[in-house]
Amino acid sequence: MSTRTITIEVLRYRPEQDQEPFFQSYTVPCDEDWVVLDALNYIKDELDRTLSYRWSCHMFVCGSCGIVVDGEPKLGCKAFVKDYGDKIRVEPLGNFPIERDLVVVIDDFIEKLESVNPYLIPKEEKSIDDGEYLQTPAQLKAFKQYSMCINCLLCYSACPQYGLDPSFVGPAALALAHRYNMDSRDVGRKAREDVVASHEGIWECSFVGACSQVCPKDVDPAGAIQQTKITSAIDYVTSFLPGGNR
Amino acid sequence: MSRKPYVRQMSKTSWFLTHSRYKHYILHEVTCIFIAIYAVILIFGLFRLGQGPEAWQGWLDGLRSPLGVIFQILAFGFAMIHTWSWFKVVPQAMRIQRGESFVPGNLIIGAHYGVLAIISLFVLILAGVA
Amino acid sequence: MARSSKAIPWLLFAGGGTVTAFILPVMILITGLFALFGVFSGALSYETMQAFVGNWLIKIILFGILFLTLWHAAHRLRVVAHDFGIRADTGVAIVVYGLAAVGTVATVIALLSV
Ligand code: SF4
Repeated sequence: MSTRTITIEVLRYRPEQDQEPFFQSYTVPCDEDWVVLDALNYIKDELDRTLSYRWSCHMFVCGSCGIVVDGEPKLGCKAFVKDYGDKIRVEPLGNFPIERDLVVVIDDFIEKLESVNPYLIPKEEKSIDDGEYLQTPAQLKAFKQYSMCINCLLCYSACPQYGLDPSFVGPAALALAHRYNMDSRDVGRKAREDVVASHEGIWECSFVGACSQVCPKDVDPAGAIQQTKITSAIDYVTSFLPGGNR
Repeated sequence: MSRKPYVRQMSKTSWFLTHSRYKHYILHEVTCIFIAIYAVILIFGLFRLGQGPEAWQGWLDGLRSPLGVIFQILAFGFAMIHTWSWFKVVPQAMRIQRGESFVPGNLIIGAHYGVLAIISLFVLILAGVA
Repeated sequence: MARSSKAIPWLLFAGGGTVTAFILPVMILITGLFALFGVFSGALSYETMQAFVGNWLIKIILFGILFLTLWHAAHRLRVVAHDFGIRADTGVAIVVYGLAAVGTVATVIALLSV
């Protein structure tokens, strides 16, 4: 297998000694079928044990290796070095504080995710003995795309509205809220609506669409948010009509 | 060990120049400036129409002035950018499910262009041209 | 968190965006072609336009187009201001929606004057 020598420029930040991040270059002999994550692993194993980054599955499932490669949010395990030049710039995800090197602080996202009640809220609780909540394939299809999210946060990194105003609930959390709202077994839309349809929720989104362009799982958070806007706006208006429930 | 997370700030006034997809976004957002001005010109025209033949002729002369022509060329360009960018995202905002599959996005977009052609033709006929 | 009243201007924005996408190019084409080459000079003559706008159905359609166009542009201007770094969102909202409201009233007066 042929190898190519690539310069990997990594944005480093070591909180105990650095005032601000800086780029450090490593020369890495990359196999042609490597992904950027392989190059980072090579650096860690062979060149510099102090480099910090997150990863786990190496197969687009765990969502932990989100980084910015040449200015584009990517999963480290899905960014093939053959698609890049002889110099690759690797940075931590944008719009999140840097904890260390490529590791970012994602507490804010976790809070937002919790705030939208991202779980099934059934009409009535059933015991396991009563069997499953049944659903047709068509009903499954209605929300399936939005359930593919792996919480990798590439979408938050790409979203300028989140960068400009961190109080924005953001793409993945709102897409997940939509995923449950669209589920035929779920009746929790009202419970989610106070967060989802707040100023910081869907209405902070101006449909830049960047989230959907970078999403590695084709979740299309931007579409989910626009669909939510339509139903929420109609809800809001009809709540003023006689018989509308507020 | 004490933590010291580093926060990077993005420019609040020039962030949209940092990536091509943000440039596309801001380009279709600013179409509203030209659309707003054009609407004001039309409303002004209606006023002039109510004020008699000379006033109306004055408004038409305004349209034909160099400034009027340049503005309308620009406005037409931006209106097309608006139309194009608006139709492009309709399938995301409005999914149409038929059984277990969705109507293909390109079909929805194509239908919009079809309607655009029909409406345009109709208006042109109404204006006595086509 | 409370549900946001942005729902209402957004509906006008979305409706206006759709209407302008369909109708504005051909309208600008007509006034612009007239301006450039004088075609349509008959169609845009004072008598024809008087009769045209004099029709109630046309008045209502023109009002619908202009009303939605104004509110579409106003709401998007609010977003543009935010994107250009102007953070006084409430002030911006009052100005742009205020202008759209003035424009709406002006449209009604203008249409009734024909
Ligand atoms: S929506 Fe897509 S980009 Fe965003 S966190 Fe989920 S998988 Fe990642």
